[in-house]
Amino acid sequence: MTAWNLRPIASALWRNRTGAILVAFQIAIGLAVLVNAVYVVKQRVEKIARPTGMDTANMIWVASAGFAKDYDYDASWREDLATLRELPDVKAASLFSNIPLSGGGSSNGFQPRPGEVTPKETVQGNNYDVDEQAIAALGVKLVAGRPFEVHEIQPPSEAFEMSPQAIVTQAFAKEMFPNDPNPLGKTFYDGLSKPITIVGIMEHMHGAWVGWDKLDHVVLFPRIKDGPNAVYLVRAEPGRRDAVMRDIEARLGDSNPGRLLRWVRPFDYFIHQSYLDDRNMAIFLSSVTSALLAITALGIFGLATFNVSTRIRQIGTRRAVGARRMDIVRHFLVENWMITTAGIVAGCGFALAIGYWISIKYELPRLDLYYLVGGVLTIWLIGLFSALQPARRASTISPAVATRTV
Amino acid sequence: MFGYYLDLAFRNLKRNPGLTALMIGAVALGIAVCVMTLTMYRAMSGNPIWWKNDVLFSVTMDFWDPQQPYWDKKPELAPEQLTYRDAMAVYESDIPKHKVIMHKAVGILSVDGSSVKPERTVTRVTTKDFFAMFDVPFQYGGTWTDAADTGPEPVMVLSRKMNDRLFGGENSVGRRIRWDDNEFRIVGVRDNWMPLPTFYDVNNGSLEEPEDVYIPFGWNVALELPSAGNTNGWKPEDIQTYQDFLSSESVWIQMWVELPDDSARGKFQAFLDNYAREQKRAGRYQRPLNNRLTKVDQWLVDNNVVSNDNRVLVGLAFAFLAVCLLNTVGLLLAKFLNNAPMTGVRRALGASRRQVFFQHLVEVGVISSIGALLGLALGGLMLMGLRALYTVDPTDAGGTQALAHVDMTSVATALLLAFFATIAAGLYPAWRIGRIPPASYLKAQ
Repeated sequence: MTAWNLRPIASALWRNRTGAILVAFQIAIGLAVLVNAVYVVKQRVEKIARPTGMDTANMIWVASAGFAKDYDYDASWREDLATLRELPDVKAASLFSNIPLSGGGSSNGFQPRPGEVTPKETVQGNNYDVDEQAIAALGVKLVAGRPFEVHEIQPPSEAFEMSPQAIVTQAFAKEMFPNDPNPLGKTFYDGLSKPITIVGIMEHMHGAWVGWDKLDHVVLFPRIKDGPNAVYLVRAEPGRRDAVMRDIEARLGDSNPGRLLRWVRPFDYFIHQSYLDDRNMAIFLSSVTSALLAITALGIFGLATFNVSTRIRQIGTRRAVGARRMDIVRHFLVENWMITTAGIVAGCGFALAIGYWISIKYELPRLDLYYLVGGVLTIWLIGLFSALQPARRASTISPAVATRTV
Repeated sequence: MFGYYLDLAFRNLKRNPGLTALMIGAVALGIAVCVMTLTMYRAMSGNPIWWKNDVLFSVTMDFWDPQQPYWDKKPELAPEQLTYRDAMAVYESDIPKHKVIMHKAVGILSVDGSSVKPERTVTRVTTKDFFAMFDVPFQYGGTWTDAADTGPEPVMVLSRKMNDRLFGGENSVGRRIRWDDNEFRIVGVRDNWMPLPTFYDVNNGSLEEPEDVYIPFGWNVALELPSAGNTNGWKPEDIQTYQDFLSSESVWIQMWVELPDDSARGKFQAFLDNYAREQKRAGRYQRPLNNRLTKVDQWLVDNNVVSNDNRVLVGLAFAFLAVCLLNTVGLLLAKFLNNAPMTGVRRALGASRRQVFFQHLVEVGVISSIGALLGLALGGLMLMGLRALYTVDPTDAGGTQALAHVDMTSVATALLLAFFATIAAGLYPAWRIGRIPPASYLKAQ
């Protein structure tokens, strides 16, 4: 007889296997879901937490829509920008063609040389038309070069026209000129082979679509957005964002009857919206997985309780012939461990299969085995804790029970 | 007999309240999660016009970059929108019963002398068949004429919601209204209509509400309207004027046709292919001939309206239901076996296996019913929570308001599914208990 009495425990279990098999199945599913849910949630959390390169906490976006026949767009944006820049606690204000991280924007292909190029040579970038205060208003860090100067700002163009200068992100410059350590001052071309000179390089900045792998390929052009709709970016002094937003509403709300002040919104609003699906998926997966594990734990608990209650006389007999309390607890815990482990073995197969399916669907790297190891340990612990109370209760059964009838 | 079984079932449930609560809780939770996830899935991926699935077709034509397909991942598909020039040319065909070309635009809506503030509204610039083709209901008036499309005449259809806001819900047909400072006349008010997802234009957020304003297609040229949706191009072109844009290779127009039978479909397909061949001779359409007429259900799949997230969620819902059911089977078994001595007595007194089986099945039915009711309430709470998760700005009529329009049929489907699954889960324990030999339980007494 081994110290752990594995054989008799296993044979007792085998005689009443239906319940055990059911619980083992639950554990298998629970493990598979747990491992993959943790994997997906971690991807989402990391995606949401990526640095944007911008001073997002203090940024405000303002949208104005001109609609009257006699609306003078040119005078209007000048007046609005002057008003915004005069407000207290405003660091900088700039006119933008689109809002980064909002899911809306413009992207174009650029190329390192003029003429026809292959699709491989084309470098995609999120492009924005901005004015001379853009760098200050975004709060991005320039690692080389300078912000735009007033005389470089081009007038509005209804065509999709690029400007002769640009400020680009490091990531964009690196892909455009992979072999050049210092791309400042170099020239690249738009799809019509018009030359564009890099006058500044940003350390990092996010563009329009959070799901795009070219998110950090940003190209800023010195140009006034075409009318009659305008989007202003205002950067407030640290901590003054909400006060500045109230000021903007008060000052621009009725300043011009030919237009509508559509909204004044913190940058967080757009970022939150862009990542909404990712965040909700993370919340949803975590809560459903927790509920599933809780139900599995209840199943283990229920089975153990039932096993104890149907074997009261046998336990009493064992106690009467000399088994210690410890032995009874160990019996039930080992029995439970066997069930859990059977479930885990099946669950590993499920987990890998689902992980494979998810990696194909989401085009993610294959499930890391660390997750599986972590999941197995977690399930073992859950199994142990769920069976602890019934096992303890079993050990309190008095040996006298064995001598009674019923 | 049924009444007696019911009575017995309630007595047994009261005997071990802890186990009963556990069981009902597991069933309720399983049902709730299923109702929630399946409702969401249906809201996002159902075919909102299934009754016309065999006659409605989206029209796409592949004239894209000879070097690379429109979609790397699905190279067999054509761009989901058309160029203006192709759309205009194909619209000339009189083979379809109904045909529509359209795009989204944005305008400021205002009423002279009204106290309601001017409002920026999403507008569909479309041809007259839009309403008849998609079975859009009208509250007042109706659509415009062919002449209004080409004129274009200043006529407009409003949504019921917008009519309520601007005109207090009265019959506003004939009233004047301004759209981007141009005077229009209202000819119709469309009734509440909520196709989920908005299949007819999937490239701009398929969970958005339909547009509040509809104006004739000719206004895009008259007012030089840009598309408020996606505009995609492949060819570097020097676009300086609106006319350049109209004749460019940019896609921004959606097209749908209604073809009542196979012969019409064949004819229209031939018409498209002929058109593409002509264009090939003129130097366009360099890719292999690929003009597609796609039914709504396939269209939703092609355009990834069902996101991968959604598929994962449905998988999760079923895994969850499976665990809940396994749990229920286990607990029912435990509970029935707990009562085995009493069942033994009943069998000894003459109850047949069949009767014992039905008696226990009634008990399962009681548990599933209570679980289903609780699960429905819980699922409702979860859906409210879900809606809160998706609401960014409560005043913003955006995206996932759709989830507010949960239809009862999908809830009922999920509920029935879960209910019958639970009953099915009870079959084995009820059968098993009927097979217990009564003698072994009578001996000890």
